[in-house]
Amino acid sequence: MHEVSRALALALGLIGRGDQEFLSIVRLSLGVSLTATLAALVIGAPLGVALAISRFRGRAGLILTSNALLGLPPVVVGLCVYLALSRSGPLGKFGLLFTPAAMVVAQLILLTPIVIALTHRMAAGLWGEYGGALMVDGASGPRSIAIILAIGRATMLTVFLAAFGRAISEVGAIIVVGGNIRGYTRTMTTAIALETSKGELALALALGMVLIALSFAVNAVAFLLARAWRK
Amino acid sequence: MASVVLNEVRKTYAGGFEAVKGVSFTVSDGGLCVLVGPSGCGKSTLLRMVAGLETVSSGDIRIGERRVNDLEPMARDIAMVFQNYALYPHMSVFDNMAYGLRNRGTPKPEIEKRVKEAARILELDALLERKPRQLSGGQRQRVAMGRAIVRKPAAFLFDEPLSNLDAKLRVQMRIEIRKLQRELKTTSIYVTHDQLEAMTLADRLVVMNGGHMEQVGTALDVFQNPASVFVAGFIGSPPMNFLAGEVDTQGRLRLPDGAFLAFDPKRGEAQVGRKVLAGLRPENVALRNGVEDGAAPRFRLELVEELGMGRLVHGKVGERPFTVAQGASDPPPSGYSLSIGIEPALVHLFDAASGLSLTSAAPRR
Repeated sequence: MHEVSRALALALGLIGRGDQEFLSIVRLSLGVSLTATLAALVIGAPLGVALAISRFRGRAGLILTSNALLGLPPVVVGLCVYLALSRSGPLGKFGLLFTPAAMVVAQLILLTPIVIALTHRMAAGLWGEYGGALMVDGASGPRSIAIILAIGRATMLTVFLAAFGRAISEVGAIIVVGGNIRGYTRTMTTAIALETSKGELALALALGMVLIALSFAVNAVAFLLARAWRK
Repeated sequence: MASVVLNEVRKTYAGGFEAVKGVSFTVSDGGLCVLVGPSGCGKSTLLRMVAGLETVSSGDIRIGERRVNDLEPMARDIAMVFQNYALYPHMSVFDNMAYGLRNRGTPKPEIEKRVKEAARILELDALLERKPRQLSGGQRQRVAMGRAIVRKPAAFLFDEPLSNLDAKLRVQMRIEIRKLQRELKTTSIYVTHDQLEAMTLADRLVVMNGGHMEQVGTALDVFQNPASVFVAGFIGSPPMNFLAGEVDTQGRLRLPDGAFLAFDPKRGEAQVGRKVLAGLRPENVALRNGVEDGAAPRFRLELVEELGMGRLVHGKVGERPFTVAQGASDPPPSGYSLSIGIEPALVHLFDAASGLSLTSAAPRR
């Protein structure tokens, strides 16, 4: 109980003082997670709808793969990205290892299957309802995808939140490819891991509280947006 | 406009299930053909094959002069009204109606003109800016109709478009659809499981059962001359009553309880000893007081339903449920000692084994 009240005081202090290091950690956490989530949506959402509305050989295998990749272990993803971005790896010449960009790439790989699988499920239902009308109306493939995403935009918000929730709370992949460098690649989760390992439990707990509050705030914005769309 | 011709059309799914088993019929230019049958009989699958939403396993579908089997839905020059209306919820009524035209590259002024014309016909003028969720069920149904008519297609396809409406609105919209179809003179295929809707709308009625076409003809012809027990039981409300029996040496039908039912021998090939089912329309049957052994079939009264414009008297003849439809001026049944009577010419006979009519010359296709 003492640790919790100390953590609460520390969290309020960090926010109240406007601690620069703390704020840069928050900014980086939000920046990396939001960038990865939006990129995963841009790539995964059309693919998810395309999987729902197209019929081709190997489609079932792709759906199965995207579902199976939902449980992709972050540390393994981090390791693969590390190997690809390391100096001797195929993408080593770009010098991205231990940068926020590498963290975005790792998270993008983790999030895209989530977006594809959840969007596919939503789109399959909507295609059953609107697919016939779209085909009779002569909508092309890309137009059909756009219409299905527009109709299902409230559900897409849930997909966004699921992907963002995974990203903001993720530590295994980004600590491997980002390196937890102070002031450069340190995020909320990697900072919590570090403070915990140092025995600074109150500070780790304080950072955890701020992380939960941030996540809550993003959800609240999404909820308000969904309500505005329903009107 | 164009005629629609189906020739031996079949649909077999990957698992081997045959949903449509060789259906052939023609919808004349400007005619309204209704496909009617119980759930799972293949009528919606058949309509979706005409629309191009399902592939055709074998057979030909022609719209006008073109064989359309391998054409995309857009290229078939059809418009479809769906059971759930399928209105795009994020678009206004105007945009819903204009969407198909935009995809076809119709010039903007022409789109505006056609949508406003359709809106005027369907009394949707004041609703063009609204979203579908702001409309009542009947208004949504009209928007779905509007989306179809702005296209000026060769054929309209209706997939149970009234089944989501309440009973009163359904009757009203049924009349509106019929009036609109007559006004536009567009060849139409309409799918429903509601036999009353089918009877009132159809120029030509196709009765389907288990993927087969049971009978095709005008609504009145199908009602008066059902080709099978299935058609006789499906078309007509309340449905036809059936009594099992055997033709005796005097050309009457002998029922299991020893009663007799006379039928018109000129109407059918009912040889002596043949086991048959007699079909009696509830509105053709009269109830009589009193029972005589070995004479008219005895009716055991169970329930009377008052309808205002008449009444339905439910009971049993032998072990079979039996309904008599009485007019408001007919005397209500009194007491429980009753028998039934019917003009011999109004008795339908069906072969007990095959279920096919012995009294109807109606073709099964």
